[in-house]
Amino acid sequence: MSTPTPTPLHLADARPATDVVVRCADIAHTFGSGPTAVVAVTQVTCEVRRDSRLAIMGPSGSGKSTLIHLMAGLESVTSGTISWPAFGGTPGGSPGTVGVVFQGPSLIPSLDALGNVALPLIIQGVSDAEAERRAAEALEALGLGWLSARLPDELSGGQAQRIAVARVLAAGPRLILADEPTGQLDRETGSHVIDVLIEAADRLGAGLVITTHDPEVAGKLSERWLMQDGELRATPHHDSEGDRP
Amino acid sequence: MITLWIQGLLRRRFGSLAATAAGVAIAVAMIASLGSFIASAQSSMTARAASGVAVDWQVQVAPNADPGAVATKTRAASGVTKALPVGFAHSTGLSATSNGTSQTTGPAIILGLPTGYAAAFPGEIRFLSGTHNGVLIAQQTAANLHVMPGDSVTIGLEGVTPIAVTVAGVIDLPQANSLFQTVGAPAQSQPLAPPDNVLLVPSGTYGEISSALTVAHPELVSIQIHAAHSHALAADPAVSYVDITSAAHNLEATLAGSGQVGDNLGAALGAARGDSGYATVLFLFLGLPGAVLAGLLTVAVATSGRDRRRREQALLRTRGASARLVGRLVASEALIVGTIGGAVGLAVAALVGAISFGTVGFGQSPVSATIWPLSAFLIGLGIAVGAVVIPAIRDFRTVIVSQARAQLSRDHTPWWARIWLDLILLAVSAAVFSITTQDGYSLVLAPEGVASIQVNYWAFFGPALFWVGAGLLIWRIYRSVLRRRQGTVARLIRPITGSLSHTSSHMMSRTSPVLARGAVMFALALTFAISTSVFNSTYQHQAEVDARLTNGADIAITEPPGSHTPVSAGTTIQKVPGVGAVEPLQHRYAYVGSDLQDLFGVRASSITKATLLQDAYFQGGTAEQLMAKLAAQPDAILVSSETVKDFQLHPGDLIRLRLQNATTQSLVTVPFHYVGVANEFPTAPKDSFFVANATYISSQTGDSSVSSFLVDTGGRGTDAVANSLRHGLGTSATVTSIGAARSSVGSSLTSVDLGGLTRVELTFALLIAAASGGLLFVLGQSERKRTFAIATVLGARRRQLRALVLAEAAVVAIGGTIAGVVLGAVLSHMLASVLTGVFDPPPAALTVPWSYLIVAGVIAIVAIVAGAIWSARTAHRPAIETIREL
Repeated sequence: MSTPTPTPLHLADARPATDVVVRCADIAHTFGSGPTAVVAVTQVTCEVRRDSRLAIMGPSGSGKSTLIHLMAGLESVTSGTISWPAFGGTPGGSPGTVGVVFQGPSLIPSLDALGNVALPLIIQGVSDAEAERRAAEALEALGLGWLSARLPDELSGGQAQRIAVARVLAAGPRLILADEPTGQLDRETGSHVIDVLIEAADRLGAGLVITTHDPEVAGKLSERWLMQDGELRATPHHDSEGDRP
Repeated sequence: MITLWIQGLLRRRFGSLAATAAGVAIAVAMIASLGSFIASAQSSMTARAASGVAVDWQVQVAPNADPGAVATKTRAASGVTKALPVGFAHSTGLSATSNGTSQTTGPAIILGLPTGYAAAFPGEIRFLSGTHNGVLIAQQTAANLHVMPGDSVTIGLEGVTPIAVTVAGVIDLPQANSLFQTVGAPAQSQPLAPPDNVLLVPSGTYGEISSALTVAHPELVSIQIHAAHSHALAADPAVSYVDITSAAHNLEATLAGSGQVGDNLGAALGAARGDSGYATVLFLFLGLPGAVLAGLLTVAVATSGRDRRRREQALLRTRGASARLVGRLVASEALIVGTIGGAVGLAVAALVGAISFGTVGFGQSPVSATIWPLSAFLIGLGIAVGAVVIPAIRDFRTVIVSQARAQLSRDHTPWWARIWLDLILLAVSAAVFSITTQDGYSLVLAPEGVASIQVNYWAFFGPALFWVGAGLLIWRIYRSVLRRRQGTVARLIRPITGSLSHTSSHMMSRTSPVLARGAVMFALALTFAISTSVFNSTYQHQAEVDARLTNGADIAITEPPGSHTPVSAGTTIQKVPGVGAVEPLQHRYAYVGSDLQDLFGVRASSITKATLLQDAYFQGGTAEQLMAKLAAQPDAILVSSETVKDFQLHPGDLIRLRLQNATTQSLVTVPFHYVGVANEFPTAPKDSFFVANATYISSQTGDSSVSSFLVDTGGRGTDAVANSLRHGLGTSATVTSIGAARSSVGSSLTSVDLGGLTRVELTFALLIAAASGGLLFVLGQSERKRTFAIATVLGARRRQLRALVLAEAAVVAIGGTIAGVVLGAVLSHMLASVLTGVFDPPPAALTVPWSYLIVAGVIAIVAIVAGAIWSARTAHRPAIETIREL
């Protein structure tokens, strides 16, 4: 495992634009204004490719989640430029291109597991039957078919997170963003969820970014970045294939 | 600690506390407004009862007592303003000769009236023709004897030489029942009807008669002291009844056997007291569902803060707070909400009272003015405690918060649904309804002639159980449809949600208990609005019908007896500006055996142009059918149901009536054929009467004279037209407009103006319907924000999120409206049947205030849609904040 260095990240862009799913150029995000303003993200320049398997580490409040939200297009940058070259626009313009997994329960409580997994497809305009077929496939692929009819309240934390991953898988995104997906899980379950995420990203050929405090989780990914005080300080580290678990 | 807690609540949870307090305020205002109305109604009942009595006390002087002494003691009694002696003498009969023929009546009563009697007791005598002084003859007696003012009448006296007098005027005795009562006798021993023949003579003439009779037959003369009591009475009929009866008893005690008091005022107040008690129960019964709905609304609002309260409780417990302390903190919240809500509610009720009933207080007696606001306030406090403290105590006993939360998503069927309580209640309601409407209760005429109501309080249970049972049944049906008919729901909402229809119907199936609760609240609020407005409108309409029935038409022109007014006089009336249709009406007296009854001759084909004939007036056909039968068959006749029963009549049966022939002045037998029953008819008395063709009566009796004209003004400028007619016709005819009848018809209960109450109840109904519809979305907002945040992350667009909420709104609005309309219709019919005794006459059909109901429905639906749009907007806008919490 490499040690992050406290230097800003600068990327030399030698790859084709379509391979880059998200590119951040000196972006910043500030909450509020005036003396109470809080700088969450600043001077971040980076890019994520479809084959990226990234872990963003850092202490609480360092800006990891905000960066994930910016990459997902859920929040707007205060300054700088963020683009999604592979999408030909913003994630909002083409639903389903970015899949997000959150730390806490993120399933819709009033839908069963199958309905939750099918929802992003239905939002995209896929027919109900097709969406349910693909959702069932995604659940089966992750060995969760037996949970199809369960409501979120009837699932354990690990099961709910894996259903959330199945939802990402079913939608077929080109970028998977997971914000501390193992934060509320025990080590064994968390490890399994990360494996499922990596498997899903590999299956879809999607870029994968996971924020985590856990070095063991980070160790499963080929690149690790460090965030501190809103800045991305690590030089990208690429593990060799052999480093991958 | 408690002060700190309350300060924190007010600072941090003001919105939620204010919403709960608003719910309490609505309930309190509703109850207190009802109190305000009932107090005002009671006051009007007392005034109405008192004003309807012509002679307050009739003191029967004992045979050997000194009338002068009794009169003096009566005058001296507390509250008595006037007391005059009236002599009663029995005559063997009256006779008169006119146009060469002699007529003799049966036994008659001669009243000896002192000078100034008519002025002292203005309600007792109605002057019809001639002068006001001298010998006055009752209208029916004048008809029997064929005499007019100026004619001579001979008074037959038992064992004494007859006395001849000259008639000065013709009068009517509107309160003959009480005037000729047997003072001191129980109701069942009272005369069935007042005497047919009555002559009023001045005290001088009476002195002659009584002097002669006292010697021969002293038992045939008696003296009463007629007294007027002050009408400055307590507002509550019950209190004034006690006051007056106590005063009457006191006078009797003072008289020490020399006189017995016939307490007409007490009897009227007693009837008003009964009516008042009934009115209180009735109006509470009609308005209480609104207060209960407001209470349920409060509970729903308070429940929305339950999770917050649970968290706070858990925190307090982990910090070592005792159960007692937690209880006190929660109770303080309830107390704050209840007190503020109660105070606001009372203020609103006072304002409503000032605007609608013209009174800020809740009654004129100290008891009433205290009990109503205090009760309303305590009920409000009770609602607040029930909504806040009881769930908190229950939660306190729950082991784990997550355990309680998990129960929400399970397929949890409430206990009442498992035992089918809803259907049981509806079955019991139907049974009670069936029994009570079979037994029924109706307006009955008391011997004193005061309309009072016989009450069957059990009848209230039918609608009350229906309310509860129907509410629970809607919940069951609604939940079942959402859970088991997802495909149908999806198809229904597809125009709104598009491709998300199945997802939306799935979501609704899972949240069916919450949606069902919203739909039930919405439906019940609509039910309340519909049933209240329909009942009140029907009530008002029937009061109008009663007024029209009494007066006959917008304007009635009554010709003086013996005036021989021709039908052509209608042409003159027709020319008066504002007069629409004019219909002549004959009024004769007909003998059926020895019984004398009123007979009305009409133009069957055109009478409805000038007056209203409701189907409910008749039996054996509709009003139109029976008028057509009359028009088609000259000798057809409508009789009262009492006559049908007495004579065992069947349609087509021959009836022979004896009518007076105009030429010979003798009674001739005229054959008629019975074709139907008329229980009510414009201007007709409440008891037996006949309706026949005017042309047939004219041809058989040689008398085509008109007794009265019914004038239709189309309801426009009736009083002005009546004044024009009075001016044009002079003093020969009596012109009465419907306005005067409105203030004099019915019992003291039916005289209560429901206008104010209607406005109040309808405003509250609208408020509750709008609030219950909109609230559904406000209360589910926290959950919805979370769902929307997740959906936003998954790529949902704003319109898709809005469609999800609007679909819920549509399902609640459509389901709630259908259920509300059905229940409202059923309950309206139920109330009209159960409370049929309140209506006089019974309604032919319910009066539906369509314009109000359409406006109410639109406002309620707009409130739901507005709530949904607000919900969609606010849920979407801060999605990222919710996302950060995921």
